[in-house]
Amino acid sequence: MFRYVLKTLLRHRTRTLLTICGAAVAMFVFCGVEAIQEGLRRLVTDSESNRGLVVYQENRFCPSTSHLPVDYARQIAKIPGVREVMPVQVWTNNCRASLDVVVFNGVNPQQVAQFRTFNIVDGTARGFETESNGALVGFTLAQRRGIKVGETFSIGPMSVKVSGIFRSEVAAEENVIFTPLDYLQLAEGTDRAGTVTLHEVIVQSGFDLNQVAESIDQNLKSGPVATKTRTRGAFMANAVTDLVDFIRFTAWLGYACLGLVLSIVATTTVMSVQDRIKEYAVLQTLGVRPLTAMRLVVTESSLLCIIGGLLGAGIAISLLAWLRLAMTTEGVSLGIAPSFRLAGLAAVLSVAVGVLAGIGPAIQAVQTPIVAALRRD
Amino acid sequence: MALVEIRNITKSFRKGEETIIPLDNVSLDIHEGEFVSLMGPSGTGKSTLLNLVSGIDRPTSGQLVVGGVEITGLSRSKLADWRAANLGYIFQTHNLIPVLTAYENVELPTLLLKISAAERRQRVRVALEAVGLTDRAHHYPRQLSGGQEQRVGIARAIVAHPKIVVADEPTGSLDSETSEQIQILLERLNRELGITLLMVTHDSELSRMARRQLHLDRGKIKELASENQPVSVSAGGA
Repeated sequence: MFRYVLKTLLRHRTRTLLTICGAAVAMFVFCGVEAIQEGLRRLVTDSESNRGLVVYQENRFCPSTSHLPVDYARQIAKIPGVREVMPVQVWTNNCRASLDVVVFNGVNPQQVAQFRTFNIVDGTARGFETESNGALVGFTLAQRRGIKVGETFSIGPMSVKVSGIFRSEVAAEENVIFTPLDYLQLAEGTDRAGTVTLHEVIVQSGFDLNQVAESIDQNLKSGPVATKTRTRGAFMANAVTDLVDFIRFTAWLGYACLGLVLSIVATTTVMSVQDRIKEYAVLQTLGVRPLTAMRLVVTESSLLCIIGGLLGAGIAISLLAWLRLAMTTEGVSLGIAPSFRLAGLAAVLSVAVGVLAGIGPAIQAVQTPIVAALRRD
Repeated sequence: MALVEIRNITKSFRKGEETIIPLDNVSLDIHEGEFVSLMGPSGTGKSTLLNLVSGIDRPTSGQLVVGGVEITGLSRSKLADWRAANLGYIFQTHNLIPVLTAYENVELPTLLLKISAAERRQRVRVALEAVGLTDRAHHYPRQLSGGQEQRVGIARAIVAHPKIVVADEPTGSLDSETSEQIQILLERLNRELGITLLMVTHDSELSRMARRQLHLDRGKIKELASENQPVSVSAGGA
């Protein structure tokens, strides 16, 4: 019977092709939108994984406006519950939202491994540890900008020598360049000796993150610069807060795309069933059960959806993998990357929408009395 | 015991304010191996009776037993199963599935039976041979003439070895020469393969080929001729 469904679809090639194209375009947009949603979720949840806090200047959001004394690190280290503190200088070529922002993180090369989990996939960390302008470049940024190990990468006042390229479990990290802290503080034009953008803190297990954050802000209240300490996830979410509303809105765009697939495939299937209502009556006269006849209709709509959906998702995922986009704002990157989850979601939704699109026409196909359907021309 | 036992069947439906009764308390027996033709003016309920025997329509009242099964009380799914195993239907307009070849059209009813692939192939081959269309097996309906299409329809009706084959004006859309070929074919299937046939027709020549000829008018059945008198017919309590 599957052969019958296939042959029916092939019989109306143009209609089938147009429906598949419609479903593919809609699923393409859905996957793009879902990749952005997933990037936001990953940014928050991945950042939460290491019991980390971020100490930032109060009421400041852009890295270029947050200036904390480096020696806050010593004070923070004494607070109960704090296991490790790392001062970080952030420099970005653009504080506003953009798809191609370069973000430098100046850190202590000996300390960074305790705060970030990354894997060097090309070159080594040696230059980063020993040379004043040695740098480790995130994989996504390196791919996007065509940066190679051994090259000197320059942007604005920054000019670093790439010693290695790394991959990270946190997708957003792959858009960052790590350099020694001193280099970033003293780089021409930045003039930030003695200050850093933020302090990253690792909290000992058994201590409540929010309580430790509160203690840090209380302790530094009397210092020259007031601070605001948040969990790493909350900091990231806050940094991209301007984008969050927009990103949440795009979720509706994604649902609308699914609705579009549903409506395109359901329309085609209804037309197909109405054209062949007599054919379904003949099949039932021969002994095809009503449920089997319904299954034939649902199989037809599901096939259209699966082929179109997977085609659209495949193109979207390939394009995302190739472009390696990252939406960056306030020095925080939100990776727009494909994932197995996205591919799985697209496949499951294609099947679900296909089934849903076929139910109405399937009921129509078997609800028409056989004798009445056989009389139709 | 008769293969088909129709007992006091009435079929009525409303058309606007009017109640139409195409079949009024009809009783009829059809025995295994019989070739029965049913004639009568248009709109007198011939096709309605055929559809009731086929289980694609339900009577308003009365009992219908085919092959020992009371089919009026079966659910839609059970009725479909019953049709797959017991009924062959020859349509006036062939009603072949246009996307399937002649072979695949004939094979269709066998896909609903629990038989092996080898037996399925064998049955399709034999059915196509019986109607003389082995050489057109891989042609699509659009590549066949009207007569060839009807022969494919006949092969499809007999391939599942049904207990009864019903034919609704099987030559109604064919020219006289092709009609004659179909008449001969139906008569041969009944005589040589012992297939029980109930046929509705307007064609008196075709009707005469049947061994029993019935006439239906104003909801009542009348026996016109039979090779095997006496026959069990009652109409409207007559």
